[in-house]
Amino acid sequence: MLLRLDDSLQLAGGALAANRGRTALIMLATAIGVAAVVLLAALGEGARGFVVGQFEALGTNLLVVLPGRNETVGGPPPVLGTTPRDLTIDDAYALTAWRDIDQVAPLMVGEAPVSTAAGLEREVTVIGSTAEMAALRHLEMGQGRFLPAMDAKRGAALCVLGFGLAQELFGTAPAIGQWIRVADRRFRVIGVLRDAGVSIGTDFNDVVIVPVASAQTLFDRRSLFRIIAGVRAGADLAQASTAVHAIIAGRHDGEDDVTVITQDSVVATLGRILGAITLGVVGISTISLAVAGLLIMNVMLVSVTQRREEIGVLKALGARTRDVHRLFLFEAVMLAAGGGLCGLAAGLGSAALVRQLFPAFPVLAPWWAIALALGVALGAGLFFGVVPARRAALQDPVHALARR
Amino acid sequence: MRSADLLRFAVQAITGQRLRSALTVLGIAIGILAVVLLTAVGEGVRRFVLGEFTQFGTNIIAIQPGKKSTFGLSGASVASVRPLTVDDAEALAGLPVIEGVVPVIQGNAEVAFGARKRRTTVIGVGADMPGVWRMQVAAGSFLPDDGFANARAFVVLGQRLYQELFGSANALGQRVRIGGARFRVIGVMASKGQMLGFDLDDTVYVPVVRATELFDREGLMEIDITFPEDEQPERVEQAIERLLTARHGRVDFTLVTQDKMLAVLGDILDILTAGVAALGAISLVVGAFGIATIMTIAVNERSNEVGLLRALGARRAEIMGIFLLEAALLGAAGGVGGIAVASALVSVILLVVPSLPLGIVWSYVAAAFGVSVTVGLIAGWLPARRAAGLDPVEALRAE
Repeated sequence: MLLRLDDSLQLAGGALAANRGRTALIMLATAIGVAAVVLLAALGEGARGFVVGQFEALGTNLLVVLPGRNETVGGPPPVLGTTPRDLTIDDAYALTAWRDIDQVAPLMVGEAPVSTAAGLEREVTVIGSTAEMAALRHLEMGQGRFLPAMDAKRGAALCVLGFGLAQELFGTAPAIGQWIRVADRRFRVIGVLRDAGVSIGTDFNDVVIVPVASAQTLFDRRSLFRIIAGVRAGADLAQASTAVHAIIAGRHDGEDDVTVITQDSVVATLGRILGAITLGVVGISTISLAVAGLLIMNVMLVSVTQRREEIGVLKALGARTRDVHRLFLFEAVMLAAGGGLCGLAAGLGSAALVRQLFPAFPVLAPWWAIALALGVALGAGLFFGVVPARRAALQDPVHALARR
Repeated sequence: MRSADLLRFAVQAITGQRLRSALTVLGIAIGILAVVLLTAVGEGVRRFVLGEFTQFGTNIIAIQPGKKSTFGLSGASVASVRPLTVDDAEALAGLPVIEGVVPVIQGNAEVAFGARKRRTTVIGVGADMPGVWRMQVAAGSFLPDDGFANARAFVVLGQRLYQELFGSANALGQRVRIGGARFRVIGVMASKGQMLGFDLDDTVYVPVVRATELFDREGLMEIDITFPEDEQPERVEQAIERLLTARHGRVDFTLVTQDKMLAVLGDILDILTAGVAALGAISLVVGAFGIATIMTIAVNERSNEVGLLRALGARRAEIMGIFLLEAALLGAAGGVGGIAVASALVSVILLVVPSLPLGIVWSYVAAAFGVSVTVGLIAGWLPARRAAGLDPVEALRAE
């Protein structure tokens, strides 16, 4: 007799159903492993999607120009950027000479006390910039308007407040039109930024934005902290970056003393780092699937010992070694697959739940994690099923039956 | 039944089914191995990072302009309307509780010797720097103690920069140009290597007042001070706060003590270690199901043994005890095996690569062992209860 495929499946399924308790336990063990892999991968991808999304929302077609340049390869950029030769507002606008750079925003940063007529005072970050900054950094207004377009080298007693700062200084009272004091100068509030919520990178919640020339007088410094340059969509960022170096060198007596960071490379680096972390976490959780495979092997060995007679009868009736082998392999794989599918459902379900609770995080199980979890679970079932199955298949029918 | 008998029963049950027990134990052992190894890596990272920070000593306090939390860059490091000044540093040096004072300005400029040029980090500091930052001078001497205000235009080169500009030639007494100004080389620092990605060797050190001129800024980025080992850190902090508040009329600066920074860092790294331990524990949970499964099977197989014991007068609690003990022993064996393999692995790795910062955290090891026994007990609970609940008559008839 040759065992037909559906007979084999039925026999294997019957054996599993007959031992409900242990079948359930083993499937649960496998399910936990698969669910862990799928959920962790989903969380990792979610975090990556969130962070990369935050940066991409700022626009990937940006060049950030920092004063100073280090020749050490691979080191961090000169973040604090203090150089003998100033990076000036004129330098910033000179960048627009390059055909692909359509907007620039010079940036000053510093800290100063801000106070209201009512006597409230706080130390906050003061940003000096121009009208272009709103577009380049995708700043949205809650009330009023952003700094108006005007000559960047002329100061003005106008300012825009971050959402959090406006609330702290004025509470629910309208802030627009009020005067505030920044250090020893007075500025009229013309706008309040929209509440940005969680943000990565610069926190615009607690800032005062003033015209860049006013910030220069405030801090008595001429050199800019950064220049943000917007590059036309679709243009070559690397080319634009080279052009920036050339323009600055031309203006600085041939000295190329700036560092240019493309938003693109920042996003790519961040994505790579978070991707690597996700892979590591998923890899560690995959160990649990190997353990689950071990358990499957154990239970199958028990099953083979307990079903000696059944195997003896099957063989006496003409089942070939191959048939018995397949029978027990089926059983092992069915255990793994059953557990794997339950785990997949649980993993996808919890990922969906997290997505419901925190809509900001795009928690979605990536296909590779699903394939990995199911593949490893099935592979472990097959791999660890081989030993018990061989044991069963090689049993001598006479011996097996005589044991009775 | 005597407890010695109970134990023998359980042990015999385990050794009677060698392969099965071995596989179950292996399942737990892998989980424990994962937890112990991962926490060892976590601890290694912790030691490495904390080591990077404590290499500057622990009796150091950084004073930064502006008010802010322990980490993060505030706008005040770039510019502030009320900066920390060289005069502030000078005043601090007069405090009796303070040993060394280093005002810091960091910038970036081109350093040139003849035709050779290199853009690099320029750090303006004071004469106390080698003591405060624990750096060694390889050749010549460090900046002399001229007082902060009228320091001469001397420069001390970092090891890497020295090699880039001079090769192996003598640099002492030579003149280099930094951002257009001329400085005389009076020393070369010993190599210090990287500090969290920042190359301390690719730098030059100039007197802070020269750096203020070079970069045309008045404000310091930081003032680092050290105090004697036997001094109370709180007393030093208070003295600094009193002095600077009196000078500035307000608290517009932040003190970052090494303790505070290490505490925050340590907390973050502890959470990280606990996180990877939790990841490893997933395998442990899966392994626990192995014990539960094997115990379920064992109870089924040995129901007539249970019936016999009960017929001979064994109480339910004793039956339960036998099976619970068996489960706990399986768990414990897995725990011991996993810990043994993990410690062996760590020792071998450390033998091969001694510089790798790996450290077994014994508290996690103890916890892992405790968990493995507990896991055995929990996993064995339901099967053991089933065994104890068996009716002796029914159990014997099952034969």
